[in-house]
Amino acid sequence: MRDGDRVVDRVVEMLKEPVRIDPVLDRRVMAELAQVPAPRRTTGIVALTGWLVRKRTIAVSPLGGLAAAAGIALAVLAGRAWVFPTAHHEPALTTTAAVSPGADTRAIQFVVLAPRASSVTLVGDFNDWDETATPMSRAVGNGLWSVTVPLAPGRYRYSFLVDGNRWEPDPEAPRALGDDFGRPNSVVTVGGS
Amino acid sequence: MRRGLGLSLIIAAGLAGGSRAPAAAQEPRLAGRLPDPVRVQVDALLDSARAAGLPTEPLVDRALEGASKRADGVRIVTAVRRLAGELGAARDALGLESSPAEVTAGASALRAGARAGDLHRLRVLRARQSVTVAAAVLADLVAVGVPPDTAAAAVIALARSADDATYLAFRRNVERDVALGASPVAALGVRLTATGGATAEYPGPRKP
Amino acid sequence: MGIEGVTESADATLVRRVLAGDTEAYAGLVARYRDRLGRYAVRMLGNQADAEEALQETFIRGYRSLGRCTEPERFGAWLFGILVNRCRTAGAQRARRDRTVIADEAAMARAAVWDESDRHAWRETIRWALGRLAPAHREAFLLKHVEELSYEEMVGLTGASVPALKMRVLRAREELCRLLQEVERA
Repeated sequence: MRDGDRVVDRVVEMLKEPVRIDPVLDRRVMAELAQVPAPRRTTGIVALTGWLVRKRTIAVSPLGGLAAAAGIALAVLAGRAWVFPTAHHEPALTTTAAVSPGADTRAIQFVVLAPRASSVTLVGDFNDWDETATPMSRAVGNGLWSVTVPLAPGRYRYSFLVDGNRWEPDPEAPRALGDDFGRPNSVVTVGGS
Repeated sequence: MRRGLGLSLIIAAGLAGGSRAPAAAQEPRLAGRLPDPVRVQVDALLDSARAAGLPTEPLVDRALEGASKRADGVRIVTAVRRLAGELGAARDALGLESSPAEVTAGASALRAGARAGDLHRLRVLRARQSVTVAAAVLADLVAVGVPPDTAAAAVIALARSADDATYLAFRRNVERDVALGASPVAALGVRLTATGGATAEYPGPRKP
Repeated sequence: MGIEGVTESADATLVRRVLAGDTEAYAGLVARYRDRLGRYAVRMLGNQADAEEALQETFIRGYRSLGRCTEPERFGAWLFGILVNRCRTAGAQRARRDRTVIADEAAMARAAVWDESDRHAWRETIRWALGRLAPAHREAFLLKHVEELSYEEMVGLTGASVPALKMRVLRAREELCRLLQEVERA
């Protein structure tokens, strides 16, 4: 065995020695967790996987900035289905895009953190971009707004309208590419059979 | 391009003609949402798209989005026209037998930066299977930061063997890796290898 | 590790309990993995303070994303992946923060007295030498030799290919040898 290998072996031997971290870390972690929403399993009937919090969108989201400062995590969205439909639907001219609950729809929940907003509405392809159609409700005691919408399988662009005049994309969702009107949108894909 | 000229003629007629505009079918959802001159132009675009066999739902949505965001008429018409062009290009690349969902997803892929040739290859490689999910995943990969050429190459590499569920799992995994701090291209490469998709068609990211 | 005197629940059990609403159960996972993950963090980042910060962030993020841990039985490996990423970010930040330029590396090496029986000095020397490695090389070296992962597992954690990882490990070994033999010769 070469000298070099012996040296490296001794290095490795020392590096493998256990390290002791001050157990006070446990209390610090648990204390911080008290301010974090409880995680929920994101498998189940409706959702196949949850949205992931993307590091860069946390930094740039104006709504999330407040949350970060307060040490409150952005809400993890539950209830998102991800499988794109294999059933094709041929939209007729007279069909409205607004979806009413039917056999083929999934309940999709949209959540956003906006503690200083006085109103938040969900606007997108599924409600004909009508800003009066889907107002969101604020949970008591915190800045979380949410609404659950029945959606037929498909892919929808959407955005949040805050206080009637400010468009905010969903910090938890992928961006729609190429925004035509100067304000970016998000995309949600709903599974089908 | 023939299609573009056709649209221009219709729009010109609409603008010039006022009450003599061709009686295009009117999309009821635009009523009250768009100023009349804008609405006429958009209806004309919808009419032309319909005549060409393209899905109109995405176009209506785009116009309504513009209305909701109080965009000016020119911008709305431009956006609708641009999307109509992408739908047409997607349908050209994917073939006349393509379903509305495939064409719409193809248009998203083109908007993301894929080339018509990429869509065509997807169609060829997937034979009888739908390309909707493959094209949608391409757009989604670009949305998390994968360069368009690389995303297209990856999706094409999977085209022969992957079913829709595999494509979606692949996309979820890449998104998850990126969220945990991996670079998009690295995450793509790792997940592609894991899916067994690394082939001669995708030896790795293309150099710009 | 683990909580003495208490029947140890498997990771999967604790994960499921947390997801069912029992937040306190997460403390068991923290206690179980604190030192184990701490070892990698300390070796990678070079000091206890940075390591503890990275650990805390890792545990928090692990909790937040717990619903996406698809294999609760492999919670430890999953959490380790989060730690590796955290350390990468932390390392980059640290590099920007302290740009101490060591004017004379040889003098620095000599300053760590090379004495076979002086384990403290030897540890310091190793820590210094490890810190001289490029982060990617240090990471690969630690994952391969200290954490004893397979190259395939390392691909999943780093996004690099097996050949690239082998190269990094080789470079790390060569550089460590060079640095430590310099110390010996000094």
